[in-house]
Amino acid sequence: MHKKFRKMTVCMLAGLLACSSLLGMSAHAEEHYDVYNYDRWEEAIPSQAGYLAARSVSGQDLGISDFSEPSDIFRDAYDQFFIADSKNNRIVVTNSDLTEVVMIMEEFKCPDGSVTTLKQPEGIYVAPETDLVYIADYNNSRVLVCDYDCNVQMEITKPKSELFSQELTFMPQRVIADKAGNVYIVLGNITTGAAMFNNEGEFQGYYGANTVEATSAVIANYFWKLISTDEMRSRTSRTVPSGITSFDLDDEGFIYTCTQSTSQKKDTVKKLNPAGTNLFSSLETSWGDVEAVYDSNTNKNYQSMICDIEISDDGNINCLDLTSGRVFQYDEEGNLLFIFGSSSEQLGGFTEVTAIESIGNNILVLDTRKNTVTVFEETDFGRIVHEATVLYNGGYYEEALEPWYQVLQYDGNYRRAFLGISAALLVDGDYAGSMKYAKLADSPYRYNRAFEGYRSEWLTAHIRGVVAVLILLVIAGFALKWYLNKHYKPNLEYDITRTDERKREEEG
Amino acid sequence: MMDLTNKQWVKHAVTHPMEGFEDMRWKKAGSMKYSIVIILLWFVASIFYNRLYGFQFYAEADKMFNIIPYIVQTIILFCTWVVGNWSICTLLEGEGTMKNIFIYSAYALIPYVASIYIEVFLSHFLIRDEAVFIDAVHIIGLLWSGVLLFSAIKSVHQYTFMKTIGAILLTICAMLIMLFLLVLLLSLFQQVYVFAYSIYTEIAYRLKV
Repeated sequence: MHKKFRKMTVCMLAGLLACSSLLGMSAHAEEHYDVYNYDRWEEAIPSQAGYLAARSVSGQDLGISDFSEPSDIFRDAYDQFFIADSKNNRIVVTNSDLTEVVMIMEEFKCPDGSVTTLKQPEGIYVAPETDLVYIADYNNSRVLVCDYDCNVQMEITKPKSELFSQELTFMPQRVIADKAGNVYIVLGNITTGAAMFNNEGEFQGYYGANTVEATSAVIANYFWKLISTDEMRSRTSRTVPSGITSFDLDDEGFIYTCTQSTSQKKDTVKKLNPAGTNLFSSLETSWGDVEAVYDSNTNKNYQSMICDIEISDDGNINCLDLTSGRVFQYDEEGNLLFIFGSSSEQLGGFTEVTAIESIGNNILVLDTRKNTVTVFEETDFGRIVHEATVLYNGGYYEEALEPWYQVLQYDGNYRRAFLGISAALLVDGDYAGSMKYAKLADSPYRYNRAFEGYRSEWLTAHIRGVVAVLILLVIAGFALKWYLNKHYKPNLEYDITRTDERKREEEG
Repeated sequence: MMDLTNKQWVKHAVTHPMEGFEDMRWKKAGSMKYSIVIILLWFVASIFYNRLYGFQFYAEADKMFNIIPYIVQTIILFCTWVVGNWSICTLLEGEGTMKNIFIYSAYALIPYVASIYIEVFLSHFLIRDEAVFIDAVHIIGLLWSGVLLFSAIKSVHQYTFMKTIGAILLTICAMLIMLFLLVLLLSLFQQVYVFAYSIYTEIAYRLKV
């Protein structure tokens, strides 16, 4: 009896285990945070995950000593990753899977034969055209330009030019170089934009400065300065724009900058053309979280601060938010695609993020406190959204129709899918369908275009009926008037002009 | 003579901006029932205007529907106008009673209310490029009602042209003051309520513990 009972229990347990493992296989991997997106009214609503954290890589996973406050990561033309390991004073180069170290750059050979080392390298860039490595060597106050074999080609130090105030220090934090070999350097203490050097290392000026937003405090400050004395003025705080924090280049050579600031709300992400004009200035996108979140424990408002920006191969803009540890992914036109990541200890959560990089469909985030690189992999949902977005932005509305329908099966709240379907159906000539989806997407502009087509189509089809009804209405109107005239006398009292006549008649 | 029915008086007042209201005053005509219907129609029209407009003309669709703003923007606004005008014009030797001001002002609003219904109707057949027709209807309705309202105030109080303008401006000031006092009163009551509620919770807590 007892034995039998035990047997039964074991059987049941085994069955349960099998069931649960089956369930586990069919269910999707869950993130430890609530995945959300913003709806038409810019309110957070639950959404599907576009990316899932797959693994995190530390220095020991790569077979070397742990990273120490790494601050930048960059992918070169051969899909190798360069990680600026700041406190270890080295550059770690890994393979594309982040499984093994290809080389470690620590000592550099100068042209005169001497050897130089790094002191807290903060930024790293590798030019795909020339294969030159640009290292922002923070504490050595220089930008080191070398080749893959650590031979120093050029060294950019504090310029002697009059344009660069000699009282200022030269502490490079981020560096990039465009196709022409111009080098752009973000300096922590410069608010007038990135310092720009030509390919000879000569100082050219500044690029991509932010402007001061005319907030009420700034205007009040300006007013007080007008009427105060010089002495008072020297004691007030100066109004300066926020300096840019990081930047990246896209395939066409446009420079994208981001600004990590609590006071600046506009233009925290900019797309600059070679003249330095912001091409995103007319966008209504609010980069990062729409509204600051108030935390009563710390009595602080947590507002998004974009600390790094990265343009992936298919043109999507990935913004890294220092405050919340979240990545906000936008398409090339500034439409929000996905939000992922969090501020926590688990995989996919961060303590203090510093840099973001992408490879194919994966996104890598560097955490300077956890000393790890976290790899996010695209989900099925993410893949379909990306496919549809690329087609849609390229103008292939009809080709994007099928992917958009699939997107809706995953997430019925995804507004851009409704817009995409509406556009595709409009091109297709299905005006009624286009109107339906435009209404679901809450887009009067699209509805207007679909309705225009629908109306002209309807008029062409029913022109005889419309004309017949119009003629009938006119005839009916005349008939009614004739009938009323015959059976009802007009109220003479009502007509003031004829009251005198009537009066005379009555008297007579 | 001029023994018109209520319906005919409405037509007469609306189509004779200059002497229509004078005639009405002379014959002591005008129906309170009709006036209330007009104001209610205005209230309904304002809801139609916001909820049943052609979708292609929406600037941004609302997520929530709240009826309070519609009541405030039509019925309360009109009542404030009547009360404000009455209080100003009793001081300025106006001859109109509150009831007459209500009736005449309501009659004056007819073209505007009608234009809203016409706009809502047209918006379902026009596209954005043709919005100029809707604008035309809107402007005509607004101007017509404006002239009628001026004429109504002028007749009901037997004012001169300049005095009417002054009275209307003062009425607007009076309306603003009334709204200000209303808001003040509401916030005051809210504070009293919060005070009472906190006392209640405090006592309830003490009793429990």
